[in-house]
Amino acid sequence: MVSRFDQQKTKHQLFHVSLSLATILICMTYMQYRRNWAHLGSFWDSLVVPIVFLGELLKVVLARFYGRVEDGVLTVKQRQKKAAYFTPRELLGGFTLQFLCTLLYAFICIILGAPVLGNYEQTFVLALLMTLLTVSPTVFLLGGGGALQVCFCEKPDFVTKCEDTALNLFKYNALGGILGAWAGSVVAPLDWGRDWQAYPIPNVIGALLGSALGNIYACTHVLYATARVYMTKKRT
Amino acid sequence: MEQHKSRLVYTIGMLTLFLSGAVFFLIGFFPASYSMAEDPGTVPGGRPTTLHGVELTPPPPAYGSFILFLVDALRDDFPDATSMPVAHSRACEKLTLHVDIPTVTMPRLKSITTGTLSNFIDIALNVGHTEQLQDSLLHRLNQRNKVVSFAGDHTWVKLFPSEFTRHADNHDSFYVNDFYEGDRNVTTTLESELELSDWSLLILHYLGLDHIGHVEGNASPRVPLKLKEMDEAVQKILDHKNFPNYFLMLTGDHGMADGGGHGGNTPAETLVPLYLYSNNCSKATSGTKRYNQIDLAPTLSVLLSVEIPTPSIGCLIPEMLQTLPLEHQMYAYFYNAHHLLNKARVKFGHDRVHRSDYYTWYQNATLLHKKLLQDSGGGASQVYQVQAKLNYMRVAREISGLLSESLVKFDYGFIALGLALTTATSLHIVISVLYLDLTEQLQLDSLKAGQFLVSAVAAVLLNVTSHALDIILTSSMLQSVLLTIPIAIAVYLTIDVAQALLKIALPPLYTRRLRISIPLPIPLLVCFAIRTLTLGSSSFIEFEYKTWYYLGNTLILLTAFRTLRRRITKTNVELDGRHLYTVASTCLWQMRKVFVMLMLLTLMRYIHRLQAIRSTIMIFSLLLLWARLHRHSQLPQSVASGAALCMVYCFRGLNGQVHFFEMPPYMAAKLMVPTLVVFWCCLALVLVLGYRAALPQTQRFADEPPTVALLQLLQTNLTSSLLLAALLQKVPNILLLPMLLVALQQTYKLCDVFGTSARKFSVRLVHVYKIIMTIFLARMFFFFQGNSNSLSTIDLTPGYIGQTSYNPAVVGLFVTLNTFGAEIHAFLYLVVHTLRSDLRSVGIMQLQPPYSIAADSLIAPLYAALVMLPAAFYLCLMVGFRYHLFIYSVFSPKVLYDCYTVLVFYLVFLVTSLYFKLFKHDA
Repeated sequence: MVSRFDQQKTKHQLFHVSLSLATILICMTYMQYRRNWAHLGSFWDSLVVPIVFLGELLKVVLARFYGRVEDGVLTVKQRQKKAAYFTPRELLGGFTLQFLCTLLYAFICIILGAPVLGNYEQTFVLALLMTLLTVSPTVFLLGGGGALQVCFCEKPDFVTKCEDTALNLFKYNALGGILGAWAGSVVAPLDWGRDWQAYPIPNVIGALLGSALGNIYACTHVLYATARVYMTKKRT
Repeated sequence: MEQHKSRLVYTIGMLTLFLSGAVFFLIGFFPASYSMAEDPGTVPGGRPTTLHGVELTPPPPAYGSFILFLVDALRDDFPDATSMPVAHSRACEKLTLHVDIPTVTMPRLKSITTGTLSNFIDIALNVGHTEQLQDSLLHRLNQRNKVVSFAGDHTWVKLFPSEFTRHADNHDSFYVNDFYEGDRNVTTTLESELELSDWSLLILHYLGLDHIGHVEGNASPRVPLKLKEMDEAVQKILDHKNFPNYFLMLTGDHGMADGGGHGGNTPAETLVPLYLYSNNCSKATSGTKRYNQIDLAPTLSVLLSVEIPTPSIGCLIPEMLQTLPLEHQMYAYFYNAHHLLNKARVKFGHDRVHRSDYYTWYQNATLLHKKLLQDSGGGASQVYQVQAKLNYMRVAREISGLLSESLVKFDYGFIALGLALTTATSLHIVISVLYLDLTEQLQLDSLKAGQFLVSAVAAVLLNVTSHALDIILTSSMLQSVLLTIPIAIAVYLTIDVAQALLKIALPPLYTRRLRISIPLPIPLLVCFAIRTLTLGSSSFIEFEYKTWYYLGNTLILLTAFRTLRRRITKTNVELDGRHLYTVASTCLWQMRKVFVMLMLLTLMRYIHRLQAIRSTIMIFSLLLLWARLHRHSQLPQSVASGAALCMVYCFRGLNGQVHFFEMPPYMAAKLMVPTLVVFWCCLALVLVLGYRAALPQTQRFADEPPTVALLQLLQTNLTSSLLLAALLQKVPNILLLPMLLVALQQTYKLCDVFGTSARKFSVRLVHVYKIIMTIFLARMFFFFQGNSNSLSTIDLTPGYIGQTSYNPAVVGLFVTLNTFGAEIHAFLYLVVHTLRSDLRSVGIMQLQPPYSIAADSLIAPLYAALVMLPAAFYLCLMVGFRYHLFIYSVFSPKVLYDCYTVLVFYLVFLVTSLYFKLFKHDA
C-alpha cells in the first residue's frame, strides 16, 4: 500500500504520534516546573497521570475523527460494535478490565521488588500510569471485550481500518512504556545518593521516556515509508 | 547423529582447565609474598644517633611493663559505660583505630606487629597455612633479650614460633563453639604472669567474643556477659599492686559486622577501639581521634625502645607518647620520619624523594629540631618544638599514604597466563555448544596431535622468552619447566578459538553458512547480558542480590505471560471471540500455582524477619520438604527420610531454637549426640535403600532400562544432600529447601509449553529455557539465604554441628554445602528432572530425541559454559580495575566467590558425570 503525506492514514499516524510526544513533553515541562520530583509518586499531588489520561483520550478522539469518513462502508459487525459503544455493559466491562490491569501491574511491581505494603500509593500510581500507557487506549477505542479480542484473537473482523492504524501505534507506545519502566530500575542500586533514585521516580520517568522513544520509532517508520514512496514517484 | 555424542569428558576437561587458569590468575593477582619481594637489607636499619652533626641518644623504655590486651572482634561501639564500666571510666585515652581489609585475625596480627598492610589473599590463608614473619616488633624485642609472654589465640604462636619467652596458647582457636574455656585459660595465665612480673611485654588475646559473634550474632545476650568478663580482667591488671609503671592497651584485632561475622569492609568491621591506661595519665581529650592499626607497631617500638621493624609504614600515635619527656618525644618523631624517608628512598629513588614536598618538610623539621637541641629553654623553643613536631607528623602521614598505595604489586606473567586459560576455555566451550557443525568441522572436542605439537613448541619459546624478559618469576627451575604445560594448553585452545572465530566472522565461500545450532531466545540473552555487564559496577556487586531478584522474577513473569497468552489464544481459535472473559479467567485460574509461587518468592526476601513464628515455619517447611521427597521415592526410603527430618527438628529443639519439650539443660546436652547419631543413621539408610538399585545382583531392575537405575541413584543423591542441608541450614532458612524444589518444578512446567513440536529445535529451546531459569533461580535462592558478596556473611556455625573440635575438611564441606546449597541442589534437580521427563515420554513420542542424551550432550556443556563465561569476563574486568579504589573491598571478595562457585559446580558435576559413566549402559 502506498503512503503519502496527503493520505488520510499518514496524516492520522503523524497527528497521533505528535499527540503522544506532546503529552510527554507537557509532562516533562510540568516536572521541570515542579523542580522537586518527590511528589511524582503521590496520587493527589502529581499531574502526570491526568495529563497522560487526557493525552490518551485525545488520541482516541483523533481516531474517531479520522474514522468518520469510513462510516459509510462499515460491515454489519462493525456497525453493531459501534452502536454498542456506550452501553452500560461495555462501559462496565472496560472499567473492570482496566481495574484488573492496574491490580496486575501493582502485583508485578511488588514481585519485581517494590515494598509489599509500604509505598502502596506509589505502587498504585505507577500501576495506573502503566495501565494508561498500555491497556487504556485500546479499551477506550474498542471497549473491554474488544480489547481482549484484539489481544488474544488472530484478527477480529470488527476493527475498522482507521482503528487498526491507531492500534498499531498504541502497540509501540505500550511496548516502549513497559520496557522503559522496567529499565528505569537500573539506577536503584547505584550509590549516587540522589533523591530522584527513590522508587518510583525512575520508573515513572522511564515509562514516559520509553513511550516517547517508542513513538519516535513509530514516527520514523511512517516517515521512512512516505519518503520511499516519494522517492520512487520522483524517479518515475 | 554427531551431536548425540556424550560430551561429559570434554566439559570436565574444560572446567579443569578453567579452574587451573583461575588459580594462576589468583596467584598473579594476589602475590602471596609481596612484602618479601622487597629486600630488607636495602633499608638502613638501626636507630639514628646524629642529627645534622648533633649527637642523639635513643631514649630508654618509657614504661616498665607493657600489656597488649587484645579482644577478638571488639568493635568500636562495644565498650561503653554500662558494658565495661571499669575499662571505660579509667581509660586515659579513648581512640579509634581504622583496620585495613581483610578483617580477619591473621592479617590483622601481622599489621599490629609489623606495621605494614597485609595481602588480600591472607584471608584464604587465615584458616590453614601461615608463613612465619621475618621481621616484626617481637623479633626486635627478642634480639634485645626482653621477656615477652603471651596467652590466647594459637595464630600468634604459628606466626612467631620462637619469639615468645613463654606462651600459653589455646589449642583450638577455630573451634567456634568454645565460648568460655579458652578465655578462662587466658585469664589464669594472666594471673600467674602478674605475679611473675619479669616480662616487658605481655600479650593477651581473648577469642570468646568472636566465637559468640560467629555463632549467635552481635545482638546475642552473651555479648554483654562476655564484655563484663573482659572488664573484670582489665580491672585485675589495673588494680594489681606489682606494677608501679605499667602501660596497658585495650583493643580489638578487627570489628564485627551486624550479623556477627567479619571479613568485610563495613565501618562496624573496620573500626576498633584503642583504650590506653597508665599510672600517670592526665585525663585529657574527650573527642575520639582516629588512627590506623598499622600505627601501633612503630609507636610501640619507640615506647619499648627497640628499632622500628623494617616493613613498618605507620605513623606515630601522639596520644601514646604524651607522657614522655619532650626531648624523647622529639626523638621518636624524628626516628619514625627518618625511617619512612629511608623507605621512600628505596621505593621511589633518591631523585624523586629530593624533589618532593615532604622532603622539604623533613628538612625544615630537622633544622628546627637541631635548634631545639642546641638551645634548651627559652620562649622560642616552645614554638620550634610545635613546628618541628607538626612537620615530622606531616612527613610521616604523607609518606605512609604514598607507601601504602604503592605496596600493591601484580605478577603480570601469571595474570596473563590465567586470563588466557580462562578466556580461551570459556570461549571454546561456548563456541562448541553454539556451533555444532563447526565443532565437528574443526574437531573442537578432540585432541589434535599436530596442533598440540605446534603449541608445545610455541609454549617452550614463550616460556623461555618471558623468563628472559623477567615477565615470569618463579622460585625454582622445576616450576619454570612445569609452567610450559599450561602455556601449551593455552596456546592450543587459543588457536582453536581463533580458527573458529575466523570461520564465523568470514563470509562463507565454499561451505554452507554456519548456523547456530541451539536457539537463543532474546529475553534470556538480554537478562544474561545484563547480569554479566553489571559486574563492572561496584554498587551492583554490593547489591548483586537486587539484580538477581529483578532479572529472575522478570524472566519467570515473562515466561508465565507467554504461556498464558498461548493458552488463551489456543483455546480461543475455535470459539472465535465468544466467551473470552470466561476463557481468560479459566486460563488464569489454571496458572494459580505460578502466581502463588511468585508471591512466595517475594516472601522469601523477608524470610529473616519471620523469627517470631520460626517453630511453625520449621514444622511447615519440614513437612513440605518431606512431601516433595516422598513423591519420587519408595515407601521405606521416605520413612527413613521422614525420621531424619524429625531428628532435625529434635536437634533444633534441643538447641533451644524452636519450641520443644521442657527439659533441664543437662538432659538436652546429653540427648544432643544420640539425636545426631540417629539422624546420620537415617541418612545412611536412605542412601543404602537408594543404592540397592545399582547393585548388580538385584533383579528388580533387570528388565527395566538402565536409565532407571541411574535416575534412582541421582535421586538418592539429591535426597540425601537435601536432608543434610536441612540439618545445616539456619532455622528460618529451611523453608528455602522445599521452596527451591517447588519453584523449579513450576518453572519447568512453564518452560514445557515452549516445546510445541517434537522437532529438535523446539526441544532444545525448552532445554535452554530450563537451564537459564535454573541458573537464575539458584542464584536467587543463594541470596535469599542471606549470602552476599562480602566475606562477612559466610555462616561458620553449620560447620561445627555435631563436632567437638576443629576439623578443616568437615567444616569446609559443611560450610560449602550450607552456603552453596541452592546451586548444588538446583543443578542436581535439573539433571534428575531431565532424566525423569525422558522416561515419561518414552513410548508417547518416539520421534523426540531422548532427554537422557540431552542431559549430557546439551545440558552439561551449556550449563558449564553459562557458569564459566561470566566468571571469565569478571576476571578480565578485575585486570582493568586493578587500581580501582574498591578493588580489595568489593571486587576481590567477589572474585573469590566466583572462582569458588565454579569449583563447587565442578565438584558436583564431576560426581554426577561419574554416575553417568558408570551406570548408563544404554545401547
